[in-house]
Amino acid sequence: MAMYIRVKRSKTTYFIQCDPTETILDIKQKLRVLIDQPVNNQRLILMGTGEVLEDSKTLADQKVENDTIVALTLRKDDNEFEDVDIVKPNDFYQSRDADGGSW
Amino acid sequence: MKKEDTVKLISAEGFEFVIDKEAAMVSQTIRNMLTSPGSFAETEHGEVTFPEISTTILEKICQYFYWSLQYSRGKETDFHIEPELTLELMMAANYLHT
Repeated sequence: MAMYIRVKRSKTTYFIQCDPTETILDIKQKLRVLIDQPVNNQRLILMGTGEVLEDSKTLADQKVENDTIVALTLRKDDNEFEDVDIVKPNDFYQSRDADGGSW
Repeated sequence: MKKEDTVKLISAEGFEFVIDKEAAMVSQTIRNMLTSPGSFAETEHGEVTFPEISTTILEKICQYFYWSLQYSRGKETDFHIEPELTLELMMAANYLHT
């Protein structure tokens, strides 16, 4: 394992082991096993920049590094993707994701 | 990657962290729960609830598990701990034999 990323949706975080040379599609296939949602219904968004990650590109291409937080959104019934929804614990550390995961 | 190879750790506030069993077993306590046959309900469902561990601390612990795996494979980086977390983190580490 070269690295891992943290994929977050609602109150759940998935730690996904990966390699910088893997594509976003590879990551979605790993997530498919965990969440039972086909890759077409998944969208991954880089939390630092709000950029939607493209299936064909690699993690390295899109500057996704070790310990990066990536938001997962799913396709809703009306075929649109839901908004990013990451619940944070309501404690003194609330601001930690705001600084773009610099730790 | 298979679902059976992962385990879900649940914090005091009900936040869930899905991590590889391999990573979770960095903790001797979790290793015992997952490997002792039939003695823990956790073994069946692959879920462990920690009512005493806050979400922030549990996430830090999961990050530590992965850092520890990387370190053991020769990737020698530092593990950063915010000073205000140290006490709570030490108490959790003690409980988890980590």
